Amino acid sequence: MTKQKLTNFTLSITCLIVGLIIMFPVIYATSLSFMDSSEITQYPPKLISSSPTLDNYKEAFETVPLMRFMTNSLVMSVGITVGQIITASLAAFAFVFFEFRFKKILFLMVLSTMMIPGEVTIISNFLTISSWGWNDTLHVLIIPFMTSAMGIFLIRQYYLTVPKELLEAARIDGCTNFKFFIKILLPISTPVIASLSIYSFIGAWNQYLWPLLTINDTANRTVQIGITMLQSESASKAVILAGSIIISIPTIIAFVIGQRLLVEGMTSGAVKG
Amino acid sequence: MKKLASLLLLGITTLSMLTGCSSSADQTASATSTAVDLVFWHSMSGTAGTAIDELVEQFNNSQDEITVKAEYQGAYDDALTKLKSSALGNSGPDIMQLYDIGTRWMIDSGYALVLQDLADGYDFSSIEENILEYYIVEGQVHSMPFNTSTPVLYYNKTAFEQAGLDPESPPTSLEEILEYSELLTGDGKYGFSMQVYGWFFEQFLNKMQLDYVDQGNGRDDSATQVVFDNNDGARVVFQTWKDMIDSGYVVNYGQDGTAVIESFASGNIAMTVGTTASLPTVIAYVGDAFELGVGYYPSVNADDKGGISIGGGSLWAMDKGSDVKADAAFEFIKFMVEPQSQLIWSQATGYFCVNTETYKLPEMIDFLEANPLFAVAINQLQESNNEAGAVLGVFTEARDAFEENLEKIISNELSVDEAVERLTTTVNVAIKRYNASAN
Amino acid sequence: MYAQETLKASKASKVKSLAKPKIKLSPVEPYLYLVPSFIIFITFVFYPFINTIYVSMYTTDLRGRVKDFVGLQNFIDLFNSPAFYNSITITFKFVLMIAFPSVLIAFILALLANNKLKGNRIYETMFSLPMAIASAPATAFWSMAFNQTNGIINYVLGQEIQWLTNPDYALIAVSIVTVWLSIGFNFIFLTVGLRNIPTELIESVSIDGANYLQKFRYIYLPLISPQMFVVVFINVIGSFQAFGQIKLLTEGGPGDSTNVLVYSIYQEAFKYGRFEVACAQALVLFVIMLCVTLLQFKFEKKVVHYD
Repeated sequence: MTKQKLTNFTLSITCLIVGLIIMFPVIYATSLSFMDSSEITQYPPKLISSSPTLDNYKEAFETVPLMRFMTNSLVMSVGITVGQIITASLAAFAFVFFEFRFKKILFLMVLSTMMIPGEVTIISNFLTISSWGWNDTLHVLIIPFMTSAMGIFLIRQYYLTVPKELLEAARIDGCTNFKFFIKILLPISTPVIASLSIYSFIGAWNQYLWPLLTINDTANRTVQIGITMLQSESASKAVILAGSIIISIPTIIAFVIGQRLLVEGMTSGAVKG
Repeated sequence: MKKLASLLLLGITTLSMLTGCSSSADQTASATSTAVDLVFWHSMSGTAGTAIDELVEQFNNSQDEITVKAEYQGAYDDALTKLKSSALGNSGPDIMQLYDIGTRWMIDSGYALVLQDLADGYDFSSIEENILEYYIVEGQVHSMPFNTSTPVLYYNKTAFEQAGLDPESPPTSLEEILEYSELLTGDGKYGFSMQVYGWFFEQFLNKMQLDYVDQGNGRDDSATQVVFDNNDGARVVFQTWKDMIDSGYVVNYGQDGTAVIESFASGNIAMTVGTTASLPTVIAYVGDAFELGVGYYPSVNADDKGGISIGGGSLWAMDKGSDVKADAAFEFIKFMVEPQSQLIWSQATGYFCVNTETYKLPEMIDFLEANPLFAVAINQLQESNNEAGAVLGVFTEARDAFEENLEKIISNELSVDEAVERLTTTVNVAIKRYNASAN
Repeated sequence: MYAQETLKASKASKVKSLAKPKIKLSPVEPYLYLVPSFIIFITFVFYPFINTIYVSMYTTDLRGRVKDFVGLQNFIDLFNSPAFYNSITITFKFVLMIAFPSVLIAFILALLANNKLKGNRIYETMFSLPMAIASAPATAFWSMAFNQTNGIINYVLGQEIQWLTNPDYALIAVSIVTVWLSIGFNFIFLTVGLRNIPTELIESVSIDGANYLQKFRYIYLPLISPQMFVVVFINVIGSFQAFGQIKLLTEGGPGDSTNVLVYSIYQEAFKYGRFEVACAQALVLFVIMLCVTLLQFKFEKKVVHYD
C-alpha cells in the first residue's frame, strides 16, 4: 500500500510540473505585464517584478475600448456557435436518419469544404457582402460561419451511435420526425453539442482576417483586431501583454467551466450510446 | 414540419431585427446632420491613433458643415487591401492616409484625386520643401504629407565615453560605425545593430546618390526596371552589411525593429539606426540608464555626398464622384497640416511638423529647447543635399525581396552576387506584371 | 469512440435495411434539413471557390478586377518558380512538425491524466488550457519568451538562439507555438477516448497480471486508435491552414523560411495585389490537401482497429 501511495505521489508531482510547464507562457506573460518597460528588457530576465505596476493595464484600457471589443467578440462567438449547432444538427439528422438521392455526394460536398482554405474565399466573400451593404455590422461576422463541415461531421458521428429503433419507436407513438429531433435526439446529444460548442466558440473567437476586412468602425471591432491596435512604434510590449491577458480572461473562464462539463459529457454520453 | 418552419421563421425574424436595428440607427444618424459626412481611414495605432482622434474632434468642433469620422484600418498593407476591395462597392473612405511607398499605386489606380487640382489658391510654400518634394510626381502634388519621418542614428553616449570615444561626434558612415563598433564590443555587448529593412537600403542608395529604378527614379514616368544592379548600389550595400555582421562587432536581430530598439535601450548594443518617429519610444525605454545621442543617418562610404529621403505617410482625397465631398475633404486635409495641428501631432508622436510655420510657435520653440535630440533630426531633414527618393508601384514586394535576400546572405545561403541577381529578377518581374495590369 | 460505434451502427443498419423495407419518407423532408447549411456553403464556400477557379485563369488589374484570359499561364508560371516549390516543401515540413508532435504530446498527457488521483480535474484543466488562448495573445506571450537577448527560453538554455531571425530556427519556433495552441484540443479528445475504454476490460487484464506496458500495447493503443485517427486528421488539415501565428510571429521570414503556402497566398493577394497568382496557389493547396486526406483514409483502414 505504501508503494502505491508513493507511486501516486510521484504521479501527482509529475502532473503538476507538466501542467505548470504547459501553462508557463501564460504565467510568464502575466508576470511581465506588471513590469515597466525598462524592467521588461533587463538582462538577466526577471520572473517577478520588484516594483509591480498596473500602468500597462491602465494604458491598455485607455488606448483602446477593450470592453467593447470583448462584448463584440462574445456576441460574434455566441452567434456563430449557436448557428453552427442548429444547422449542423439539422444536416447531421438528415444524413443519418434518412435515405435520399445524392446523399453520398452531398455529404462529400460537405467534407470537401474542409479542404478549401479560408484565405482564398475571403476576397470573393468580401465582395459579396459589400454588395449587400453588410459591412460594419455584427451579423457580417456571424452569418458566413453559421455552419461548419466539422460540426456536421462530429454530430453525424455521434448520431450514428444512436439506435435507429429509437426513431421507429417514436413514430409508432405518433411523433413526427422533427419532433423526434427536438424532443429526443437533441437532448441526448448534449455531449457532442458541448464539444462542438467549445470548438466553434474558440474558433470564432480566433477569427482574424475576416473581422479585419469587414469591420471599419472601431465600435464593431473584435478583440483579435483590437489587440493589434495597441501595437505601434510607441507601444511598449508590456502594454500589448497586458491587453492580451485581459482579452484572454473571458475565454479562460469559459473554458475552465466548460472543460469539466465537456469531458464528463462526452464520456458519459458515449457510454449511454 | 410546422415546427421546423416556425424555427426557421424565428431565425429569419431575429436576423431581420438585427439588420433592421442597425440600419435604422444609421438613418437617424444621417437624418440629424444635413451637412457633409466624411470617412477618414488611417493606419495610426497606439498614441498616434489617440492623437488622430483628438485632431479630428478639434476639426469637427471648429465648424458645423463637415463631420469627419476617423476609422483605424490596421497597418498600411491591410488598409490598402480594404481600399481595393471596398472601392468596387464604392464603400471606401473619402480621405485616406497611405504610406509613402503606396504613392505610385494610388496614382495608377485612379482611386484618388490629384490634390493640386483641389488646392485652388492654396499656398504650398509653408509645407516643408524637402517633404513635399516626395509627393510631387510628374510635376504635380498628388497628396498632402502628414506624418513624416526620416531615419537617424541612435547612440549610447555613456558607452562612447567608456570606450574612449567622443560622445559629441557620432560616426557618419558605415565604415566609421564598424571602426567604432570594434571599440564598443565586449562583455557580451555589441557595437551596432540594424534592422533588416528595405527602407534602409533605399536610404543608403540616396546617400550614394544612386537611383533605384529607371525613368528618373520613377518620377518622370512609370519605372520599367531597376537600376541598382547596374549602378552597383545593391552589391555595395549587401557586401557592406554582410562584412559588418561577419566582423563580430555587429549583431543581427532580423526584421523585428522593436527587438533592436529594446536591445539598444537595455545597453546590449551601443548604436543603431531607426526612424525619428521612434524617438519618444527610445527616450522612454532608455530612461536614466544612459545618456542618449542622436546623429545623422550614416552613409555607406565616408565620401558619399547624398542625403536622405523622407518616409511616412500622406493624406489623399479620394474620388467619390462628388465635388462637395472633394472640397470638404480638402478642408479637412488643410486643417490637418495647420501649424497648430502639426504641433499637437508632432509632440504626441515624434513625427516631423510638415508645416514650417509650426517652428515659429512659442510652444514648439520651448519644446525644441527642452528636447535638443529632436533638433538633430530636424536639421538633417532641412539639409540641402536631400533626395526625393524613388517612386515605384511594387515597393512592398521590392522591400520584401530585399529583406529576404539579405537574410539569405547573412545565413550564408546565397553569395552577394547571387542575391543581387535574384533581387533584380524578382523586382523586375514584379514591375513587368504591374505595368501590364496598370495599362 | 464515435468512429468505433459508428461502424457497428452502420453494420447494424445495413443488416436491418436488408431485413425490413425502409420507412416511408416524405421525399423533400431530408433536403429541408440540409437547406440552412447548404445556403451558407453555397454562398460562402462553393460560389467563391468557383470564382477562384475563374480568376486563376485571368490576369487582374490594379483594382483587383479580372482583365485578360490567359488560360493556364498562371499555373505554368507557378510551376516554374523556385519560390513556389520552396513554399510547398516548407508547408509539408510544417505539417509534419505539428501534427505528430502535438498528437504525441497530447497522448502522453492524456495517459498521465488517466488516473484516479485527487486533483485530477486541476491537471486536466492545466493540460488543456492553451485551447482557450487565441492566436494573437498567444504569439504575444511566446514572442517575449523567444526574445534573443532576455527571453526566458534562451536564459534557461544558456544559449543565444535567434529563434525568430535565424532561418534554421524560425520554423521550429512557429511550430512550437502551433503545437502549444493545439495540445488542448487533442488532449481533450484523447482523454475522452481513454475514459470510454470499459473499466471491466482493464480490470480483467490487471487480474491476469498485465503490466502497464502490456496494457498500453494491447488495450489502450488499439482501443484509442479511432480517436487518434480523428485527432491526426483534424491536426493535419489545421496545420495546412495555420496562418495567424505565422503572420504575427515571422511574416514568412526570415528569408522565406516560414513562407508556407497559406502565407504565400495571403501575401500575393493582400500585400502584392496579385489575386490571380493567389487563386492559382490556392487551387494547388486544395489539390494537395485533397490527396493527403485520401491517403489518410486509405491508411486508416490499415492501422485503425474498430473492434
